[in-house]
Amino acid sequence: MFDKILIANRGEIALRVIRAAREMGIHSVAVHSTADADAMHVRMADETVCIGPPSSIDSYLSIPAIIAACEVTGAQAIHPGYGFLSENATFVQIVEDHGLTFIGPTAEHIRVMGDKITAKDTMRKLGVPCVPGSEGGVPNLAEARRIGEEIGYPVIIKATAGGGGKGMKVAASAQEMERAFQTARAEGKSNFGNDEVYIEKYLTTPRHIEIQVFGDGKGRAVHLGERDCSLQRRHQKVFEEAPGPSISQEERDRIGKTCADAVARINYTGAGTIEFLYENGEFYFIEMNTRLQVEHPVTEAVFGVDLVREQIRVAAGLDMEFQQEDLKINGHAIEVRINAEKLPEFAPRPGRITQFHAPGGLGVRMDSALYDGYTIPPYYDSLIGKLIVHAPDRPAALARLNRALGELIVDGVDTTVPLFHALLQNEDIQSGDYNIHWLEHWLETNLRD
Amino acid sequence: MPYKQPKSHRAARARKPFEDPEMPKKTHDDDVAFIKALAELLNEHELTELQVKRDYGEDDSLNVRVSRRNDPAPQQFLAPAPMPQAAAPAGTAPSSAAPAQGEDPASHPGAVTSPMVGTVYTQAEPGAPSFVSVGDDVAEGDTLLIIEAMKTMNHIPAPRGGTVKRILVEDGGAVEYGAPLMIIE
Repeated sequence: MFDKILIANRGEIALRVIRAAREMGIHSVAVHSTADADAMHVRMADETVCIGPPSSIDSYLSIPAIIAACEVTGAQAIHPGYGFLSENATFVQIVEDHGLTFIGPTAEHIRVMGDKITAKDTMRKLGVPCVPGSEGGVPNLAEARRIGEEIGYPVIIKATAGGGGKGMKVAASAQEMERAFQTARAEGKSNFGNDEVYIEKYLTTPRHIEIQVFGDGKGRAVHLGERDCSLQRRHQKVFEEAPGPSISQEERDRIGKTCADAVARINYTGAGTIEFLYENGEFYFIEMNTRLQVEHPVTEAVFGVDLVREQIRVAAGLDMEFQQEDLKINGHAIEVRINAEKLPEFAPRPGRITQFHAPGGLGVRMDSALYDGYTIPPYYDSLIGKLIVHAPDRPAALARLNRALGELIVDGVDTTVPLFHALLQNEDIQSGDYNIHWLEHWLETNLRD
Repeated sequence: MPYKQPKSHRAARARKPFEDPEMPKKTHDDDVAFIKALAELLNEHELTELQVKRDYGEDDSLNVRVSRRNDPAPQQFLAPAPMPQAAAPAGTAPSSAAPAQGEDPASHPGAVTSPMVGTVYTQAEPGAPSFVSVGDDVAEGDTLLIIEAMKTMNHIPAPRGGTVKRILVEDGGAVEYGAPLMIIE
């Protein structure tokens, strides 16, 4: 097992990893920019290294700085958290070339899953159900029109290198194809330097269902059920729950086994998430995230596992601490993402936290790097905390979330907490009857004022 | 810390019955004057600490340490919340621990700070002469030292000409981004 690991991240996820390491008796090294010298992850780690100026490009995304920080501290492994360098195959290769261990999958797995077209091809060959669409990139408008007729409108045109909602356009009919096709290409070019696009059937009211998988890199893998992350705003998840309100045990077993078998066959290492759109009882593969996800705590709650601990164990060459038959769902968990943003426009609001009080009590987990007097710097993500509740069933989890949100105090900046208070009053949320468009529609009608 | 010492010395001296009864009083006054003089010396020369041992005779000595705290720098941030600090095991970066006391060399107007995290080499190779020494005049662009990061040797040039007043790093030591390396004026 490692003696010392470096966490190439900041904020709540850096704390999450430091906590797991400390419970395992592993020393932690926090890296930070000059803007984060007073950040909680810096205070909590055993050792700290300032790696650069505020700009992420020169600090948290600087591969030389992070490798050098390992060299000067003697850290043997790097946990990337999520975002930043977590899905950068080049980084993983450099880490390995320096004799260090990357806590996550191989560079090759990241490369394959990072390209949407090869990811889809690979998954289709592994027996994972995919959305009907173009086989690879679509070179011109004529071909785009032909595919539109073949799979039926509406269709969505996506930039191959895209992500985060950029480079995606819907064509509701053949008339809209030309404009959507050209816009998606232009956005792909300007945002990702690649104008290749592909086309898929556009599902009208799907849910976002994602399957948590975990592999040991030696051909064994398990699934840890699904998370329903349909409540999104501009493709950003805001509210996630497990188990999914619409998924039966039979469906879970079937799609879960398909996913676990697929990642076992490619010798996948560590945590991964296979994302699907789910409509009318069918799953359609969207993409695979080759990292720990922001919303991993809901899975940890219902399965009673520590996914970061497992990641570290497997990276050190140990076996997983659980097998498929050990993994049973216990109760229901919900996570809400608390951002420093002002409603209704969700404008980022960095600033000084005058008072922070985390909710507590049975079944409540608050993962946050806030503290009284902390100043949220303007350079990074606006996520300032995740509130996770766990209860015996969904109605109890909703009641617990309502109670915990009432205890939470974040003074000094605007947050997205009022959104969740409002959502909990809604009948559709209470019954679990929502899809990936629900929140956008609801925001349009309810948050104007 | 040795701060307890002067007190015990005074006590010991007062209990010396075989000496001139005037002696303790006189010595005491002398000592106070001596310490006052030291304090003035400290201020005059802007020193931070001064330690003197005077031997009057066997078993009779005066050990004085006069020191002063620097004017606290204006605080830019609120004091850290005590809770996480207490909960976390003690530990700081190998490099950030060094310049904690006294004035921060990084804020010195002549400070040259590290542009990267890495390992410092003050000479081109083991046994070679140092790139620069205290008192050297350097021109803008002269190599001051090397920082190794990711097996790459990065020459750190002088950002401006001047005289090397202080070298704040050791050969083979680790530095983080922004750490003060030298003072050139």
